[in-house]
This record gives sequence, structure tokens and C-alpha cells, in this order.
Amino acid sequence: MPQPLPSKEQTLFRSVVKYYEGKQYKKGLKAADQILKKHPTHGDTQAMKALILNSQGHGEEAFTLCKAALKNDMKSHICWHVYGLLWRSVKNYEEAIKAYKFALRIEPGSLNILRDLALLQCQIRDYDGYIESRRKMMQERPQLRQNWTALAVAFHLAGNLTEAENILKTYEETLKQTPPKGDIEHSEAVLYKNTIIAESGDTERALKHLDEIIKSNLDRTSALELRAKYLLDLGRNEEAEQAYRNLLERNSEYRAYFDGLERALGLSRDNKADVEKLAELYQSYAKENSRNDATRRVPLDFLSGDAFKAAADSYLRWKLNKGVPSTFANIKSLYADAEKKAIIEELVLGYESEKKANGSAKEETNGDKSDRFEQSVLYFLAQHYNYVLSRDLKKANEYIDRLIKLDPKSVDYHQTKARIQKHTGDIQKAAETINHARELDERDRYINTKCAKYQLRANENEKALATMSKFTRNEAVGGPLGDLHDMQCMWYLIEDGEAYARQQKYGLALKRFTAIADIFDVWHEDQFDFHSFSLRKGQIRAYIDMIRWEDHLRNHPFFTRAAINAVKIYLKLADDPKLANPDQLDLSKLDPTERKKAEKKAKKERERKEKEEADRKAAAAAKATAKADDEDKKKEDTDPNGEKLLQTKEPLEAAQRFLKPMLEHSTQIVQAQNVGFEVYLRSQRYLLALKCLQAARELDLENPMAHEQSVRLRQALSKVSELPAEVSQVVKDTFTTPAADADLTAYNNEFIKKHSESARHLQAAYTARYALDNSTKSQNETDLIKTLDLSTITFEQAEQGLALLSEWKSEEKVQDEYRSKAASRWSEANVFIK
Amino acid sequence: MAEPQPSTVQEGATDPHAPTATTDDRIAAAALSTLDAQDDNGTGKKEVDGKALDKAMKNLNVKNAKAEEKKNVKVEPADVNLLVKELDLSKQKATDLLKTYDGSAVRAMTAFVTGKA
Repeated sequence: MPQPLPSKEQTLFRSVVKYYEGKQYKKGLKAADQILKKHPTHGDTQAMKALILNSQGHGEEAFTLCKAALKNDMKSHICWHVYGLLWRSVKNYEEAIKAYKFALRIEPGSLNILRDLALLQCQIRDYDGYIESRRKMMQERPQLRQNWTALAVAFHLAGNLTEAENILKTYEETLKQTPPKGDIEHSEAVLYKNTIIAESGDTERALKHLDEIIKSNLDRTSALELRAKYLLDLGRNEEAEQAYRNLLERNSEYRAYFDGLERALGLSRDNKADVEKLAELYQSYAKENSRNDATRRVPLDFLSGDAFKAAADSYLRWKLNKGVPSTFANIKSLYADAEKKAIIEELVLGYESEKKANGSAKEETNGDKSDRFEQSVLYFLAQHYNYVLSRDLKKANEYIDRLIKLDPKSVDYHQTKARIQKHTGDIQKAAETINHARELDERDRYINTKCAKYQLRANENEKALATMSKFTRNEAVGGPLGDLHDMQCMWYLIEDGEAYARQQKYGLALKRFTAIADIFDVWHEDQFDFHSFSLRKGQIRAYIDMIRWEDHLRNHPFFTRAAINAVKIYLKLADDPKLANPDQLDLSKLDPTERKKAEKKAKKERERKEKEEADRKAAAAAKATAKADDEDKKKEDTDPNGEKLLQTKEPLEAAQRFLKPMLEHSTQIVQAQNVGFEVYLRSQRYLLALKCLQAARELDLENPMAHEQSVRLRQALSKVSELPAEVSQVVKDTFTTPAADADLTAYNNEFIKKHSESARHLQAAYTARYALDNSTKSQNETDLIKTLDLSTITFEQAEQGLALLSEWKSEEKVQDEYRSKAASRWSEANVFIK
Repeated sequence: MAEPQPSTVQEGATDPHAPTATTDDRIAAAALSTLDAQDDNGTGKKEVDGKALDKAMKNLNVKNAKAEEKKNVKVEPADVNLLVKELDLSKQKATDLLKTYDGSAVRAMTAFVTGKA
């Protein structure tokens, strides 16, 4: 039962609440303690005190106190509400919801609790619960438009479009008069209703509704775009044409409008007669504005033959004369078509000889830089021969060297030179070159970033951080690296992690990849405030977009890349737990006396490091107290080198944090399925392994990893003695390639024969052969070295092969042989130099 | 780059500068997102017709009483446990999956493995 307080204490309690709301925590604590002195078991006061403690950063204390409060007074809604707030502050939304529900049962009409509950339900996407909470809130306060919109949003998100529209309509009908034109909330709500009608599939009605509101709607662009889209979908092509022409007047660099116009005119890019009409159409637009790019660039996509040549010629001359550095990047998507690639190459080579013949620049427009055309032609060619579809690194190098001679101060030229060096495999030199480029313009963050990236590629982590520190806020906690974490600089964290992984510093690598996962958690939590804020602002369409984006947030390439890398490290740990303590690894090879020495040395080193660390911490602490800045207060990183991450007892369980979201959202990524299989095979969850295998095959029927894994799964299943009957039945039904009674060696040999020209497939097949029978090791090694003779093999693939050798624990001699053979083929590549 | 823009890109939306640019901006953003806690106690707008609202709400409530029919399939607890163990699902999800396949563990698991569930 609620415990009554004497009137004096009651006033005091009210002041505690007021102090808390006013964030006067010290005063609040004092008042709470005053009550507790007389009534030490008063639950509500204890709960309020816990809440204040939590706000001051004493989370654990707060939880204990709140639990005590609950014990004293189970029937108090305040205690339960506070308990919910505490759970919410540690982001445990399920527990928080439970607590709020208890509070609501005691105090059903409380708007505050109801609102907190609704926000949480939306956050965890419990739409049924959200609808209920929103409905109650709307009934409590129907005069607020927000509450109606919120209920409509709840229905919309739950997929009940009819009800969502109905709610919005009902509210509109209660309005005495139409709100003024400047009412943004109304304008947005009406447009939101329109998108709901369209989503329900009734385009006809959506268009009719849109025509009623379009005149007064404040978001012109969206309204016009929607109208054009509806008209097109309904096949009212003439009107759609006009609509798209209107849109193009507003913005003629937006390709989607041109696409819409093409469709409205019924012109197809595959039809020859249509192509001419299309060309005319674009020309008519090009005439209107001499500076418009899209009208001149888009036709290159669909023209062919002589028409293409003429158009490409004028486009290239225009851009190259102006010296536009992005000309090549703007053109290169055409290279997928071999004919266009040849034409462009011929044209630009023509420009080069034309220059030589004429001696001077004829086509010069403004004379501030007379060699502009010549340089941009050479720059184009350098990039052309560097591009993967037209690669000839020797030529690329010649062109870029000529350019650098012409203009030794150009950042762009040096950057491209570094890129060419990277492609030859000389990562070290590439990093040096780009550092030189950076020094040419020290105030440009872009080239600084690129420089740091190349340094990371060359495994120079410290140098890279020093480079980055020129642009970070270095007084932040943790220095430059701390700032990069704060600002969620994910490209850096990923590249840094990958560099550490290459150097086998797995602790640090895991640390970086975990930081990426943490950032994604933050992004996920960031939506929390907007469940209420967006309603207040009335920007509902943007809010719905955000919710849908958050729902598949972790299919972002950044997450996938970090996750695949992290899972691979966890797999290594699962296979070889000794990796967790890298110091001990080397020692086993030494003889006893030397080992003792080494151990002593390692111990000393450790002690020295610990002392340094302690000193640093003390210094940091002193600094922090001196500053006493509440805002920058941050927890000390207890595991700066990721050693704790590395020493996990259950690496496969730890990998789930990365694996699960990836398998759920990034279903189109083969590598995700590949690593998923490896995790599940090791944890003996054969059905899940099988699921990954099937998914990988569906994406890529001849996926080399899937082949190797299918052999290993069959092998593993044959060794398992007892599976539940249902499981073996499912395996029997689903796992058909290779057949259950197939001779795996023969099956594998067939695969080798079929893919005798592909290094990746052969590598996988040899791994499978090794897994089937480890006496084939030397045979595999010889065969693997032979793959280096394949004409199609790239040096990245050759690098993979080298990694395989170390996985098989091949002898140094074999690895050296592989290296020297690879080095003779890719003479510039650093990776094959020991 | 002249590659076509992804269709999801909304043109015309100006992006405001990052709210975390300076400390002041950050404080302002935090304040904005906590504002509504106090301010929706405000009274409703004048143009709203109270009577019409009451009527509208009553009409809405009639429709609420919609009982959802759920498939009533008996599910063996042993099967649920099997699915939880083999497929790493939560109990709730395992039960739902079994229910859609009429309580047949083999069919449920096959559907899951082949990516149809």
C-alpha cells in the first residue's frame, strides 16, 4: 500500500520532485535524506533518491536503492515508474516496458507514464502495444492534433493503412475551418495522408486528393514529384510529360526527372527510332542552358556507333577544354560497354596527337592557363590506363610522370600517381607519394584523409594517426583517436582495424571493429528522441523515412565490412585460443635457457608498460579534476588494447553480435553467409550452417567457398553419431549437393577440373582436399604454387594463397618458394617481400 | 560521378549543418529534443470543435472491438525446445514458426533452412 507521510514531509517530498525536474540534484538529495531520516522505509522517497543518483552517474547505487524501494512499496506507481526510467537509461527497453506497465496498472490515467511507455514501444517496434498506448493518449487529450497524427502513424507503421487514413480524416473533419496556408503542420499532415493513400495502392484517389491540396501545399517539390509519379503510374502520359517538364524547369540536373520524361513520352532506349527522338529531346534541353551537364552527359548512355562518337567528342572537348578534373570519373561508367571504351580511348588519344601536331592550343577559351587542354587530356589518359577495365599501369605511369613534370605542384596528379603505385602493389611507395601530395596542400582535409588511409594500407598506424591529428580536436579525451571515435569517423576505424588485423594485432583490430558496432548502436538509439520530437515538428513523412531506415540500419556497408572482419578474427580465436596471449606464442619455439631470458624480458617490459599506464592515468585524472568540466566527463577506457576482447572464453558467442544483424539484413552479401557457415559449423549448429550454405549458393551458384564448405559439412555430418531425428530428416531433404553417399574426393576432383582456370576456385578446392585428407598437404602446396602461373590470377588472389599456406602451417621453405615465385610475377608488390 | 542517383535520394532537401558542430549547437539540439516533455500540456487550438471531437472519438471506438482470430494449433514443448536449440531462435519465434507449419518440426525447420520462413 502507498505509505502516507505527515504533511510536513509531504511538502518536502513534493520539493524533491521539483528539484529533480529542475535538475537541482544536490538540493533534491538533501531533501530526500531529510525525509528518509524519519521514515527510512518510505518507498517513493527512496525511488526519487535513486532517480537523482542515477542522473548523477551513480547507476549501480541507484538500482539497489530502487529495488529496496520496490520491496518496501510494491503498490506505488512512482517506484515502478522510476524503476522503468532506470532501465531505460541503461537501454534495456524490455525491462523498462515491463516496469512502466506495472506503474500504469496502478495509475491508469497518468499521461507521463503513458507517454514514456509509448516511446519505448515504438523504439522496440511493438506496434500493437504502441497503437494501444497512442489510442489512450489520444483519448486523454483529443484536442491536440499531434495525438491524432501519432495514432495514425502507429496504425501506418503496423501496416493498417485504412485505419491510419481514417484517423487523419476524422481529425480533419472536426476542424471548423481550413487552417491558414502558412500552417506547416497542416500542410505536412495532408501530404502525409496523401502518401498513405498512395501506399494503399489507390493511385487514382491519391491523385484526386493531391489535386485538391496541391495549390496550397508548402512542400512544392514533393507535391509536384508525387503528382508526376501518379500520372505516370496511371498511364496519363501527356499530363505526366507536362508534369516532368515542369519539374525539369525547377532542376534540370536531376536524372530521375529525365527518366520520368522518357517514360512519359513512351521512348525506349533499346529502340533505334526512339533513340534518335531521345537525342533530340536532350538536345532541345541542352540548348536552353549552355552550362547544364546532365543534358549532355545522359545521351552518352544510350547513343551508340557514330552518333555516340560525335556526342562523346563534343562532350569530352567541352570538359577537357575547361580542365574539369572529374571528367574521367564522370565518363567511366560507360566503360562497361567495350565498344564505347574503345571509342573514347581513340578519341582522347587523338586529342593528344592533335596537340603535338598543332603545337599550340587552338581551342583555348580563356587564356589564363594555356596548357589546360593538354594537361587534362594527359590526366584523362593516366586515369584511363589506371582504371580497372582498361588497365595498363605502365602507360598510366608514363602519362602521370609527364604531367608531374609539367606541373610538379599539382595535388591531383600526385594522388593519381599514388593510386597507380597502389595498383602495382607497391603500397609503401604509394603512401610516400600521397604524403608528398598532402604536403602540397596542408590545409585540405580531403587529401589529408587520403594520405592517412594509404598509410593505414601500408600498416603504418601511428603515422596515420599523426596525419589525422592535424585536423582532429586533440584536446578531446583520448587524443586524436578519441576524437575520431566521438565524431564516429568510421572509415578510419575500419581501415585502422584492418591494418591491425593484417599485422596480427587482433586485440586492437577487434577493438576497432567493436567500436563500429557501438557506433551503430548509437545510431539506433538516436531515433529515440524523434518519436516525440518529429510529432511536435509535424514532419511525419521524414519521420517515417527515418523509422524505415533504422529498421535496416545494419545493412550499411560499414557495418558489414567491420562485421565480416570481426567474425573472421573470432573464428581464428576459436580455432587457436593461444592467439589471445600473443606473448607466449613465440616462446614455445625457443630452447629453455633462452626462453627464461625472453620471459624475464617480457615481464620487465610488461611492468614498464603498466607503470607508464598508471602514470598516464594519474596525469589524466589530475587534468580532469583541474578542468572539472561536466560535459567532457567520460569513462576511462579500461581496455585500450582490446586484450579483454581477445581473451573471451567464447569467441563464437561473441561473434554473434556481428553475425546476427548481418545475416538478418545483409542477405545479398555472399561473404556474410560464408563466415556465418564457419561460425555455425564450429558451434555444431548444422542446420544454421546449412542455411548459410544454401543462401550462399543461391547468391552465387559457383561460389568457391560454398563448394569447400559443402564438402566439409558433409564430412562433419558423417562423423556426428546422433542427431535428433527431425534434424537428420531436414538435412536429408535440403542438403542434396553433394549427394549424401557421394565420394567426396571424386566430387572435389571434378570441381578442380571444372574450374582449372580460376585461382579462387582452385584454392577452395585444395583446402577441401586438405580437409578431407591431410596427407595431401604437399600435393596441395605444389598445386597452390602452380596457380601462380594462371593468366587470370590477380595479386590479391595470390595473397590469399599465401594466407592459405600459413593456415595449413606449411614449412617456411614452401612459403618462401611461393613468395619468390609471386614476387617474380608482381615485382613491385610489397606483400611478397619477406 | 555521373552514375544515376539512387531512386531513394530525395532532392531538394537542404541539409542543415551538423547539429554537433559547436558546443552551443549541441546544447540547443539536446534542449529541443527534451522540450516536448513539458509543453504538450498546452491547451488545444481554438479552431477545434470540441463537440465534433467527442463525436469522432465515439465513432472510432466502435471499430476498436475487433478480435483477431489466431490459429489454434497445438505445439509440442519438445519441438519448441528443439527449434530453440537448433535454430537459435527465441521461444516466442520458435512457437510462431511451428504454428505456421501446423506444429510439424520438420516442415518448420526445412522452411527456415531454405530461407522461406
